[in-house]
Amino acid sequence: MIRKDENEQRSIPTSKVERSTQFVKTGFKIGGNYVKHYSKKLFNSDLSKDELNEDNAADIYESLSKLKGSALKVAQMLSMDKNILPKAYVNQFSQSQYNAPPLSGPLIVQTFRKLHGKAPEKIYDKFNLKSSNAASIGQVHQAELNGRKLAVKIQYPGVGDSISSDLKLVKPFAFRLIGMSEKELDVYMREVEERLLEETDYELEVKRSMEISKACAHLQNIVFPTYYPELSSKRTITMDWIEGLHLKEYLETNPSQEERNTIGQALWDFYNFQQHELRAVHADPHPGNFIITPDAKLGIIDFGCIKELPDDFYYPFFSLTSAGFFNDKEKTLKAFRQLEMIHEKDSASEVEFYYDMYRQMIGLFAKPYSSESFDFSGTEFFEQIYNYGEMIAKMPEFKQARGVKHFIYVNRTNFGLYNILHELKATVRTDTYVPQVNYAD
Amino acid sequence: MEIKDSLQEAYIEHVLLHGEQPKTVYLFARENGITEAEFYTHFGSFESIDIRIWQSMMAEAIREVKAQEVWPEYSSRERALSLFYGFMELLKSRRSFVTFSLRNGKNRIGLSNLFEGMKQEFELFSADIIREGIESGELTDRPFFSGKYKDALWVQLGLVINFWLKDTSAGFDKTDEAIEKGVNVTYNLFQRSPIDELFEYGKFLAKNSGIKMPF
Repeated sequence: MIRKDENEQRSIPTSKVERSTQFVKTGFKIGGNYVKHYSKKLFNSDLSKDELNEDNAADIYESLSKLKGSALKVAQMLSMDKNILPKAYVNQFSQSQYNAPPLSGPLIVQTFRKLHGKAPEKIYDKFNLKSSNAASIGQVHQAELNGRKLAVKIQYPGVGDSISSDLKLVKPFAFRLIGMSEKELDVYMREVEERLLEETDYELEVKRSMEISKACAHLQNIVFPTYYPELSSKRTITMDWIEGLHLKEYLETNPSQEERNTIGQALWDFYNFQQHELRAVHADPHPGNFIITPDAKLGIIDFGCIKELPDDFYYPFFSLTSAGFFNDKEKTLKAFRQLEMIHEKDSASEVEFYYDMYRQMIGLFAKPYSSESFDFSGTEFFEQIYNYGEMIAKMPEFKQARGVKHFIYVNRTNFGLYNILHELKATVRTDTYVPQVNYAD
Repeated sequence: MEIKDSLQEAYIEHVLLHGEQPKTVYLFARENGITEAEFYTHFGSFESIDIRIWQSMMAEAIREVKAQEVWPEYSSRERALSLFYGFMELLKSRRSFVTFSLRNGKNRIGLSNLFEGMKQEFELFSADIIREGIESGELTDRPFFSGKYKDALWVQLGLVINFWLKDTSAGFDKTDEAIEKGVNVTYNLFQRSPIDELFEYGKFLAKNSGIKMPF
């Protein structure tokens, strides 16, 4: 008996050891990249750091993509934050949105047997064992039932279990990339962990997908798939197949400006209706979650990550974006304090410093709101965001925890949205669903 | 039902109800309405029933996976995976007996004896899928080593069974992961790898460049 217990205890960390060796390997490789960089530099002093960053990003990406699951998700998240990471990292990480090695056919059969009691070909009239897409913590298969074309999403086994340990392993990397200390950012990491764990609950996802698609049904030019809860389980989701192209493929077809504006508007309305009316937002605006249908409508296919906006965040934050708010320094400072961007113990000069920096940040964030419509095609706005991100990344003052945890997903959502609109080169009306902050005045 | 099969069932039931083997062959035979002598015409001992049970579980798993509609479309790798999943599912449905038999078998006759019948079935199956894999080009034919591929799969099966015995995850989900990872690793070794190329390069140099090998 004693021996058995010993064995059991030993058996748990092994997989973690496996994973950490993966990271250790990456660590070595990155070390190697630095060696390579500096030895080259001996001979060629104007070698830029771009190449080094690219080497590092490639290696980190490689090891993250092997880990799959939550680590892949973190890679995706980092890739969304174009304003935090150097460009070279972003290009590599963006790949993680598209490929991941698939589950074997027999494992899919096994998963269905376990969760539905039957092999997939017994549940659907047709089921394609070859997956058509990877979906970060799962993959998508095409199926058919009663003449309807379906998309079946299957989650990799063990994703939920490995999230916490994966995050612990990713932490030092994430923090080195962002350059902040580990302990202070625990509260953010917990927020990420919470969202990631929610994402592994496919039953919850089906429920939310149905709720949100119902609440958003009146929005123009948006289509939602029908969900089939009776054909879904904690690790599988069955929904209608939406015909169409992913954003990248769609853009290659050279759509007209008018059409791009329509899609952009649909995106804008979708996000801002949720933020300002539902106070819960689809917080995963990466291009893989959208399909552009042949009749130029926006299909939304993934509701894994929903961020709810509590009042004590919503009101102070969005009142900052309303016009003229910054003219009142007292009110602005009060809002910054409520959002923990300025701390009680900050000295007078620190207060001034952060007041100034955060005004710039919120100013950038709120720029699209400042007029009736906004042209996202220009690079100037994005260069500003990017430069701002680069600048604060180098400032020691920002290597500490500031701002409530809700910022992570709200920033990710909105900057992610801006990014997609930029790729679409769309001009959208930004006054359709505006922040509801009269209350705060 | 053949008398051998019904004795086998009765033996399993006895073990499950009492948590031990029947006390003597005599008692067991009498319970089942046959003479002791008759028992020995079918089985040499209780252990040989255990051996036959493991063998028939493997045979059943092989039959089941081959009966799947998708079977003809599967590659060699997928066939191996499918058998692993199928066999482990079968073991799960008999976990109590399986754990008893393993514990008992280890002490009395050694695991290699307990598994001898099962191993035969498994090796026939693996030899088939490996040959198919080599013929289709999915796997690399290496002199000497390709004959050992089936042994590597057998070792992998042992690892998976061991993993499963210690697995406490709900629905034994971790065992599924262990199978997916383990079989894929093993199969990756069967495929063409940089080592093959290194080896061939060495051979080429030795033959053509006049470099004397240091051995």
